[in-house]
This record gives sequence, structure tokens and C-alpha cells, in this order.
Amino acid sequence: MSWLRGLIFRRRMYGDLSEEIREHLAEKIEELVAEGMPRKVAEAKARKEFGNVTLLEERGREVWQWPRLETFIMDVRYALRMLRKSPGFTAIAVLTLALGIGASTAVFSLVNAVLLKPLPYPQADRIVFPWNLPPRGVNVGFDIVPTARAAYLYFEQQSKTFASLGAFQSDSFNLTGSSEPLHLDGLDASAGFFPSLGVAPILGRTFTDAEDRPGNEHEVVLSYSLWHSQFGADPGILGRAIELNGLPYTVIGVMPRGFAFPRANEMPAAFSFPSQIQVWVPLALYRGPFIPAEPSSLAVVGRLKPGVTLAQAQDEMDIMAKNAEGLFPPNWKGSLNSKVTSLASQIAGGTGRPLLLTLGAVAVLLLLACANVAGLLITRSLGRRREFILRAALGADHSRLIRQLLTESCLLASAGGIGGLAVGEGGIYFARNFGPAGIPRLGEAGLDIRVLAFTFGVMVIAALIFGFAPAIGVTRESLAESLKEGGQRSGTSLAARQMRNALLISQMALALVLVVAAGLLARTFYRLLQVDPGFRADHVLTFQLSLPPAKYPDRAHIVPAYEAVLQRIESLPGVRSTGIAEASPMGGPTDETGIRMPGQAVEDQVRKGVAYYTVTSSGYFAAAGTPILRGRGFLDTDTANSLPVAVISESMAKRYWPGGDPLGKQVGPGALKYPVATIIGIVADTKRLSLREEPFPEMYVPETQTVWPSLRTTLWPSLQTMEVVVRTVTASATMTASVQDAVHAVDPDLPVAGVKLLSTIVAESMTEPRFSMLLLAGFAALALALAAIGMYGVVSYGVAQRIQEIGIRMALGAQRGSVFQMILGQGARLAAFGIGIGLAAAFTVTRLMRSFLYGIRATDPLTFVSVVILLMLVALAACYIPARRAMKVDPMVALRYE
Amino acid sequence: MAKDDHRDLFPGALEMMVLRSLKRQPMHGYALVQLIKRSSNNLLQVEEGSLYPALQRLLKEGLVTAGWGISSTNRRVRIYKLTPAGAKHLQREVSSFERMLEGITRVLAPEES
Repeated sequence: MSWLRGLIFRRRMYGDLSEEIREHLAEKIEELVAEGMPRKVAEAKARKEFGNVTLLEERGREVWQWPRLETFIMDVRYALRMLRKSPGFTAIAVLTLALGIGASTAVFSLVNAVLLKPLPYPQADRIVFPWNLPPRGVNVGFDIVPTARAAYLYFEQQSKTFASLGAFQSDSFNLTGSSEPLHLDGLDASAGFFPSLGVAPILGRTFTDAEDRPGNEHEVVLSYSLWHSQFGADPGILGRAIELNGLPYTVIGVMPRGFAFPRANEMPAAFSFPSQIQVWVPLALYRGPFIPAEPSSLAVVGRLKPGVTLAQAQDEMDIMAKNAEGLFPPNWKGSLNSKVTSLASQIAGGTGRPLLLTLGAVAVLLLLACANVAGLLITRSLGRRREFILRAALGADHSRLIRQLLTESCLLASAGGIGGLAVGEGGIYFARNFGPAGIPRLGEAGLDIRVLAFTFGVMVIAALIFGFAPAIGVTRESLAESLKEGGQRSGTSLAARQMRNALLISQMALALVLVVAAGLLARTFYRLLQVDPGFRADHVLTFQLSLPPAKYPDRAHIVPAYEAVLQRIESLPGVRSTGIAEASPMGGPTDETGIRMPGQAVEDQVRKGVAYYTVTSSGYFAAAGTPILRGRGFLDTDTANSLPVAVISESMAKRYWPGGDPLGKQVGPGALKYPVATIIGIVADTKRLSLREEPFPEMYVPETQTVWPSLRTTLWPSLQTMEVVVRTVTASATMTASVQDAVHAVDPDLPVAGVKLLSTIVAESMTEPRFSMLLLAGFAALALALAAIGMYGVVSYGVAQRIQEIGIRMALGAQRGSVFQMILGQGARLAAFGIGIGLAAAFTVTRLMRSFLYGIRATDPLTFVSVVILLMLVALAACYIPARRAMKVDPMVALRYE
Repeated sequence: MAKDDHRDLFPGALEMMVLRSLKRQPMHGYALVQLIKRSSNNLLQVEEGSLYPALQRLLKEGLVTAGWGISSTNRRVRIYKLTPAGAKHLQREVSSFERMLEGITRVLAPEES
């Protein structure tokens, strides 16, 4: 209770002090009067010699206080009272700040989740991916391509910087033997895969080297979710045999909850990994000699030895690539180069840049919000001059007044910060639920301690940015000036006016930058929608149909099964056409292979002889809506016994037969055991992964003529999966059940997996650009609104200041129209300044956005011009109301006011 | 604190003078002001009021005590008294001040040739 005693003691002390001072003055006055001075003069003299009673008393009291804290509390109380007195101002300022801070908080929480949070792997900084780069100068549509088997084996054998190295590739399995057949997304992983990641199973073990050998690969590690959903989390699961693709596999381990490496959104697009791996089986890589033109399909992960840096690993990979050149065929030259990527940057990967763009945009928005609040505060502090003059006259220090203003600003910032947390939480909710699934670790976004610290930091910075602005209204000079004006007219000091104009100009400029950025993204999005994807997405249903090799080992079994399924689907009412392909449109690329073109002079194999090799059926082009540009598509008459035929894509025709006619020419995969085929048609290029990709040569062969198991599965016997594409007359979604029945009528053990509308797949590929665009459009709209509010505030304050002047002008015969024009012109001039500066800034800033754009340049004139017009219109609209007010000024009233 | 500069000669000077005056005899604020003004030959134009914050500081540090009493002119006044700690403090301050003054004087003295 000592503080209470202290408080009572202080009360007494204060009382003593005031009484003592009063007595002092009284004694002095009495003495002076006794000397013969008139009482009035004596009183004045006593006071003058004593000094400022209030101030000195306060100084005396301060001795007993924690002066800073207590004046602070006093300031806070006073500030709260002042803010309550002008609820409109407070609401606008707090709301503006809440939006600015909230948007930054939400965006930062995404950045935090994706880029900053530690990864859930032990010593994650040692995990790297030696990704294989495509040969220089060859556009394969991807930055990273799968590693060839022979190359991986060579690296595994030669490398000295890796503690462990593992290869993996996606696979799919048909789980049978229990109830319904179930399609599982799986991974073939070599023995080094799990040690490289450093994650141990919660039950059992992972693969041994011996199990990672062809013929021994009959072990399976289950994901936590599969163990729960299919096996009831049975702790005795180890050792149990399950049937995958008709073959027995022994369960040897269960991975911990949440482990699903690799996820599609964390890996390079070229691999087309599934989003959720459910089983891992040994890769059991064939260790025999190199096979010509074998497809590459491996992804590689490694754990660096302690003390080895990324750069050292990269150096070693470079040296190995050089040394290996002689060991491989000449056309491999340049295709062994790797780029060693850390796990962190891989996972952040492509998401990092869009996120940083958004972070930049939100920083601009925050600055704008601060400028806006600063403008509001200046206007307000000008309106409060009487108060400041009074307080200064009563002995308030100049620094004390500024401290008071800063306190108010800090309160506003705090309220804005708290509001910002609410807005931020809302933003995070929005991003998690409507954000693109492609953002890895999005689900981890939330308000953690780091985000809170960030919000606090932003709040403090914001308070500092706008907090000092109103101080310009209470400089000693400006107060003295106002005093001279007798408080009659609160004249605006030049400095304050310039400051406010500068703030307004910066708001316009910042808004312009944001609106231009949003405009460019919107144009990009529109361009993407207009892109000809090479197929028609409406009324198309796609699903995966996998034939287990145990039951469907060769062409004699596979082709009739697919034919039967297709026939049944085709005969369903409402189905227009149907076909199969190794990958449906936007379903990822098919295997890339070296090709040979007999009779074609190929100078450079690496540069010229590559294409996607896609197995399709006769109805596929019609079902996908891919236009046949020349020649014909596949017919039912193209059988195993007829002339081998192929259809090529437009870009393939252009690349390999420039100026010539490919129809009737020969083409075939590089591997000699595949026959060459005669080109009978040219089809449009199909977008394989995203609408923004550049076309890549693609050749199609009919399923009736290809070698089965297909190219894709020659080396790694696995499930033969094809995508079925069904074009319907009515809404495709209603057809799911009947399509499923049609499949089961052929073989009840076949799972129908991944049923999706093609339009949904296309829309999903657009979620990311759509999300970025909507986000930036939202920011831009906010920025416009804030700039408009700022403009309105400045111009209407200007009109209020100039009421008398306008009145005089009118009394002297100025037309109302010219007054209107004068005010509007004033606003337009400020706006033009802002737009000019903003344009210069936007030209520089949008350069950084180049990689986000499609089909337009970063300096797209249409965007820039329309944004300038838009901003000018908004500015003029904001000036309109105050300008009307100025026009309606009654000269009599205005002059009387003086 | 620009305003403080002309009120105080240097930090602690006013306190030192107050303590020195109280060493002679306990007295109240008004008397202190008169004494300081008089004994400095009106050289120090101290703002009278600034005495009070200084007195509060001394009170807080326990260098002086205060109590209400009646002055010679029959007024109710608050009389300040030097404490032993105050006396010791004064001694320390005066000697350090003298050393400083000596130093300054030497520097300012005309150079001897």
C-alpha cells in the first residue's frame, strides 16, 4: 500500500506547495505596499518577479512524480477527450489506419507462413534439390526438367558433398482386395529419400538399400491419413500385406501426421506431383546400362554433409556434369547441368515473388493511408489553433504541445493497429479460404507472435510518419502569427499549406502506382481469358482411368479395355464424344522425348529433336475440342495393322518444318523400337499446364498403334493411367454417375479417379492470377478512395479559407462559373502534379512486375492512359462538391463574416 | 529546456545557494529569495518562483526538511531546515565548485611571461 501512502503524501505536498507560493506572493505584495507602492502595481510587480505561477507549481509537483509517465497519462486523457470531441475525424482516421495496417498484417502473415516460418524437417537448411536444367537455349516450357536415370546413378556414385541422395517420382496405385477399389497417389522413392529429408516414421521403418532393388520392391510406407482412413489407425499394421495394382506389398512403416512430401505446390511444375501423397514404395531403379532415348522422370533430393555449403554442392554438380559428358550420347550435351536449390527457396519458390509484389503493394497502400491521416491531422491542427494559442499563453511549452499532438497520433495509431488486427484476421481468413491452393503452407498463415510484432512495428512507424505532421501547425512562428491575427481568422501558415499539398500530391502519386499495377494485372488476366487454349473447356468431364499391369499387361489386354470403356461411355445418352489421352488439356505435360524425323536434315539434335509424346484415341480431339488445322485426326480405321500415323501440333510443324509441309512426312520417338509414323494431321497447340505457357512441340499417336505398355511405363512397370475426356450435350457434372457405371460395367475393379470438369481445371489454373489481380484491385480501389478523401479534404478546407476572398471576387463581379473553375482548376493542378510524379514512379515500379504480366508490356500505354484519365476524373469529382460550395457563396454573407 | 538556462547559472547552482543559506539558519522561501538576492548584490536575477521547484527537489532528496511555522512578520510560513545529509552534500558541492572555479580562473588568467 506504499503507493497509496505516497499518493496521499503527495496530495499534501502539492497543497503545501500552492499555499506556500500564495503566501510568498502575499508577503511580497505586502512588503511592496508597505514601501508605498499602490496595491495594483505591487501585485503586478510581484507576479512578474515570481514568474509563471502555474508552470512553476507544475515544475514543483513534477519533482514528486514520475514526471514522464504522469504527464503521459495526462496527455492520453486529454487526447482521448479531444478525439471523442470529433468523432467523424477520429472514425475516418482510425478506419483508414485500420485498413492500411490490417492489409499489411494480412499480407505479412502470408509472407511469414510461406517464407519465414521454419520448415518441419530437421536441419532443413541442409536439404537441397539438385534440379536438372533444360539445355540452354531450348524452350521446353519449364525452368526445371526431370533428371535422367543414368545421370542420377552417376551423381549418386560420384558425389562427395551429400550425406545422402534420393531419387523419387510420382506414381499412382489401385488399392484393391478390401472393399471399393481405391485410387491412391503415391511416390516411388529410393532408399536415400527418407534419410535425405530426415523424417522418421512414427511406426516401423523406411526402405533399406536391399529393398530398393528391382524385384524386391514390395514394401510400402503409408501416410498417416491413409493409415487412419483405410486401416483404422491399426497399430498392428506393420507386416500386413496390402494389394496395390494387383500385387502384394508389405506395410513396413507409417509416416507422421502432416508428412506428405512432395506436395505439388512445393515442387517444380514439370514433375506434376499430386497434392497429397498417400503411399511410398521403393523406386528400385534399374541399375543396368544406359538405354537410348529413355525418358527422364526423376526428381532428386539430397542432404548436404555437415559444413558443406550450397555453393560447394553446386560446384561439385557442375564438375560432375562436365566429367559426365563423355559418358553419355552426344545429344545429351548440355542437358546434365543442375541448379542446386535449397528446400526453403524451393518451397517459397514461385510464390515468393507474387507475395513480395503484394507486400510492396500493401506498403504503398499503408504509406498512402499515413499520408491521408497526416493530411487530416494537419487540417485539424489548423482548426485547433485557438486551443494551442491558449495553452501556449498559459505556459505550455512548445515541446509540450508537440508531445500532446504526438500522443494523439499514437492513440490514433493504436486504435488503428487494433482495428488493423481485426481487419488482418479477416484478410487471413479470406486468403486461407479463397486464396490459390498453389500457395504452399497457406494454411499455416495466422496471427502469431511474429505477425503481431510486425503489426506493432508498422503501427509505430505509421505513428511516426503521420504523427509529426500536425506539429507543423503549431510552430512558434505560426502561433505567434495567429496571435497577431487576433484569432479572428485562423489563417493557414504557408508551411502547413505546402506540407498538405505535398501530402496530397504524394497520395495521388501512390494511388496512381497502385492503380496502374492493378490495371496491368487486370489486363493480363483478361488477356489470359482470351488466349486460345487449344481446347474448349465447356461441357467436358475428365477423369483418370488406371489399368493395373497385373491384369492388363500388354496391348492385347489394354487396348480392348480402353476401347470397351470408350464405347460404353459414347453410347450413353447426352454424350457427344469421348476419348482418352495420357494427359487431358491443362492436366500437365506428357513425357518429353527425343524424336527422329527421317528425311529431315537435323543439324542439332539437342535444339531440334524434342517433343511431348502423347498417346490418344480417335475421339480425343473432338472430345477436347482441339481444332484440326490441316489433314485429319485419328480414325477407327487407324488400327495396329494399318499404316502407323501421327498427328502433330502447330508449333511442332512450325519448328521442325518451317516453310515446308509436314503432312506425309515421317516422325517417331528417338528410341528405335518405336516405329516412325506418317504425319496425317496438324492440330492446334494445347495448353498443358497454364494458359500463360509458350507452346511446345507435341506429337500424338493413336493408342491402337503405340507400343504397350506405353513409353511412360516402359522402364518402371507401374499403373497404366490414361485421362478420359467426355464431351457432353448437357451439364457435364450430372454425368458422373453414369460414366462411373459405364467403367464398372467393363471391370468393377477399376477406380474412377479425379473426376473433374475441364472448366474447373482451367478456372483452378487461374486462381493465382485472379487472386493477385483481385487483391491488387482491392488495394487500388482503397487507394483511390483515400486519395479522393484527401483531395476533398484539402479543397474544401481551401474553400473555407477563401470564403471572404471569393465573396470579394463575386462582389467585384466575378461570375459563379469562373469561381467554380478556379476551385476545380486548383484541385486539378495538384492532381496533375501527383499524376506526373506517380507516372514516373509507375514506369520504374511496373518494370519489376514484368514476370507477372502476359500479353502486355509493363508500360502498356492503354493501361497508363486510362489510369491517368481515371485518376483525373476521381480528383475532379472530389473537388466538385467544394467547388459547388464555393460557387454558391453569397458575397453578402461572406463579407459580413469578416 | 532553453528557458531554464537564464534561470539557473549552471545546474545545481541555485540548490547550492539555497543549502548555503539554510546552513546559517532555517528560513522560509521568501526569506531565502531575499537573502540570495541581497548577498549576491542583486547580481543574480533569479526568477523568484524558480526557487520552489528547487526546494521540492532538495526535499525529495532529503537534503532539507520543511515544516509550517510562524515568521517574524507573523505569517504562516513553511520553514526549511538543513539536514545532516544536506550539510554533507553542501560541503561536497562547494569543494567541487571551488576546484572548478579555480580551474576556470587559471584558464582565464592573463598569460604570465
